[in-house]
Amino acid sequence: MSSEKFSATLRIGDLNDYIAPSQGCVVSLKANSNPNPNTPPTSSSRLDKFYAENPATLGKAVKPVETEPVKISLKDCLACSGCITSAETVMLEKQSLDEFLSSINKGKAVIVSVSPQSRASLAVHFGLSPLQVFKKLTTLFKTLGVKAVFDTSCSRDLTLIESCYEFITRYRQCHLTTDEKSKLALPMISSACPGWICYAEKTLGSYILPYISSVKSPQQTIGAIIKNHICQMLCIRPEDIYHVTVMPCYDKKLEAVRDDFVFQVEAQGEKITEVDSVLTTGELLDLVKSRSVDFASLEESPLDKLLANAAEGGHLYGVHGSSGGYAEIIFRYAAKTLFGKEIVGPLNFKTIRNSDFKEVTLEVDGETVLKFALCYGFRNLQNVVRKIKAGKCEYQFLEIMACPSGCLNGGGQIKPKAGESAKDLIQSLELKYMENVTEADPLENPIIKGLYAEWLDEPGSEKAKKHMHTEYHPIVKSITSQLQNW
Amino acid sequence: MSLVDESFELKELQVLEGHADRVWSVAWKPATGFDGVPAVLASCSGDKTVRVWEQSPSSGSFQCKAVLEETHTRTVRSCAWSPSGKLLATASFDATTAVWEHVGDDYECVSTLEGHENEVKSISWNASGSLLATCGRDKSVWIWEVLPGNEFECVSVLQGHTQDVKMVQWHPNMDILFSCSYDNTIKVWAEDGDDDWHCVQTLAEANNGHTSTVWALSFNATGDKMATCSDDLTLKIWGSDLLTIQSGNGSAPWKHICTLSGYHDRTIFSVHWSREGIIASGAADDAIRLFAEDGDGLVLNNPSHNGCDLEFFVVDEPKYHLLLKKDKAHDMDVNSVQWSSAGNRLLASASDDGTIKIWELISLAGDQKPPL
Repeated sequence: MSSEKFSATLRIGDLNDYIAPSQGCVVSLKANSNPNPNTPPTSSSRLDKFYAENPATLGKAVKPVETEPVKISLKDCLACSGCITSAETVMLEKQSLDEFLSSINKGKAVIVSVSPQSRASLAVHFGLSPLQVFKKLTTLFKTLGVKAVFDTSCSRDLTLIESCYEFITRYRQCHLTTDEKSKLALPMISSACPGWICYAEKTLGSYILPYISSVKSPQQTIGAIIKNHICQMLCIRPEDIYHVTVMPCYDKKLEAVRDDFVFQVEAQGEKITEVDSVLTTGELLDLVKSRSVDFASLEESPLDKLLANAAEGGHLYGVHGSSGGYAEIIFRYAAKTLFGKEIVGPLNFKTIRNSDFKEVTLEVDGETVLKFALCYGFRNLQNVVRKIKAGKCEYQFLEIMACPSGCLNGGGQIKPKAGESAKDLIQSLELKYMENVTEADPLENPIIKGLYAEWLDEPGSEKAKKHMHTEYHPIVKSITSQLQNW
Repeated sequence: MSLVDESFELKELQVLEGHADRVWSVAWKPATGFDGVPAVLASCSGDKTVRVWEQSPSSGSFQCKAVLEETHTRTVRSCAWSPSGKLLATASFDATTAVWEHVGDDYECVSTLEGHENEVKSISWNASGSLLATCGRDKSVWIWEVLPGNEFECVSVLQGHTQDVKMVQWHPNMDILFSCSYDNTIKVWAEDGDDDWHCVQTLAEANNGHTSTVWALSFNATGDKMATCSDDLTLKIWGSDLLTIQSGNGSAPWKHICTLSGYHDRTIFSVHWSREGIIASGAADDAIRLFAEDGDGLVLNNPSHNGCDLEFFVVDEPKYHLLLKKDKAHDMDVNSVQWSSAGNRLLASASDDGTIKIWELISLAGDQKPPL
């Protein structure tokens, strides 16, 4: 097994995450990665210049080279303002395959929730359909002792409904009231991308956070459903459930360990984590390989329909949009709710600067009343953030994802095969994503309707706010990074 | 008659004092210093300010015309004029890049570019002034597009270097970007035709590259040669087939031409190639050195190489000679050397000693001037 990958060490190098740990990381990375092993900075002038250019590292460069790997927990990483996001470079004890496998053996009720992007990645890799992949994964996991295999496109429908209601609330607040706070109601920015959230909290801070939707991501939503509600239906105590998600993205691991996603049923009770562990698609492939399983020839087990978008006829259903469809679903809902316009057929997303920046508008009587944008990748993200800061953002909603091409291109997905370009792979994934998946309105999802009826009352209710919404916190600059500012 | 056959003197014309801390970088304003337009020079410093100096038409001496302050909150590491000279961009350790416009007698900060995580180390405008590149300690290289109304849009954030990026420099006439780093490499970046930028070449130790931090790089006037300088105490000359690049038949790789070693015994922080072909270096030994290529660029004509097979391998290599070494050019490290592009053979240098010096290269061979 890929033991070098899962040591609890901090690694840097050869990674394609969109930003690597900065040199301001509280843990000295340099000690382990001196780029000039043959030319240590011995000449006094070089040291002078090194300190002149890197005042915060004063004293660091002369430290003896550490031979032990430096340990760092994801929580350290979240709390530190030293760098932006680097989940892919941070290996963790609690988020590995080993931990997952040992939890099964410890007798916990292990539940796995699989993202549709991960299914698409595996489907392309093995030449199967997403449905086949889902059924074979169910077989694989159940053989290992997993109790249930769920589908985050199901919880995503709940996320989308809450997001639609939040948008309408924000829109009305912005248009009907004039106080200072109302100005912060729009644009509303999607919250599902943990890379973006991490960047916003660490680097952008208080001026951008009020715009970010308070709705939890599909990963955390399904965690909340399982540990607050489904556990009761299954008659399992939430603390006895070990919940694992399979995600296209390493940054989802950072999301799972946020304090906001830990709760207690009773004041003195055990702390319950919505998502105990996150495996990336690539790590799941490692599991398949390590078990010497011929994945394509695995049996296809019936799906756990309790939390899976699987229709009676057996096919999968869900929303269009391989990064979650936030802009599209909210746009359609807002057009109908605010302006009485039912949009039939596909939305006309226009490419603005590049394929990762697209906008869609609604005109009523020749006037543009709604303008939404998809904004993927770090460079496009920079530009909308600049616009918001300058007060020149003309959009009411922004679907922001840190990765170019969005979630199908997440850092945790299976890498292109030899000779295959990254662009070709993305195209295959886009096609595969909706292969034999029926487009369906989240509001019509019977499972979600059931959750509201039995548990959450209605969209935007107090219960929904408690379980399905969260908060964001600007990260206060650490001493280390403050030191850099003299 | 070539430059190397002449005798030169580097004459100190003036010491510019005013900065309260080390001076990191200087930049001559384009299209100044000739046709009656007084020469203008910008300098930036650890004192968080930028100073703009102008040559008096009557006395010929430089005076500080403006101090750009209260914008950057930390060291200003480098400064660069747009090709038109209308805008001045400044890169600071405060993680921002500021863009200044000359309005009346004043310089106004018209835009601030944020995005780097920490220290911004260098900035460069492309030949047309439509793109601005920045780099910094966060190991990234950013490309910004200049839009009307002093608006800037991020076009690309390039990750590739594994350490602090010391300098970015656009090719003098093509939209190809070069960066050099603490990771000992020089990277070449080009647009891929799909509105994104990629690293098309890395010049590393394995390519006869540097074995320690690459501090700076500079191009000759035609843009077919590049000089780089390093903490490994060498200057390296690289060449590329410009016609291949210009014809659009893919990118012509840059190849190592020669290494100038044995001339420096301390880190070389700055290198700059004059339009007439003189390479200046500024180093940690407080000295400035000037180099030039042999007249016809062929060692073949050197009689000492006749008849030796081994030497014959290198007959096509241009040979560079030390024209002069100015010892104690400054009291401390020379951080930056910049030739004026006005053809007046003026060189500006910036030092840890807090001063800027203006030098004139004077030919000692009477009235004889080399062909420009």
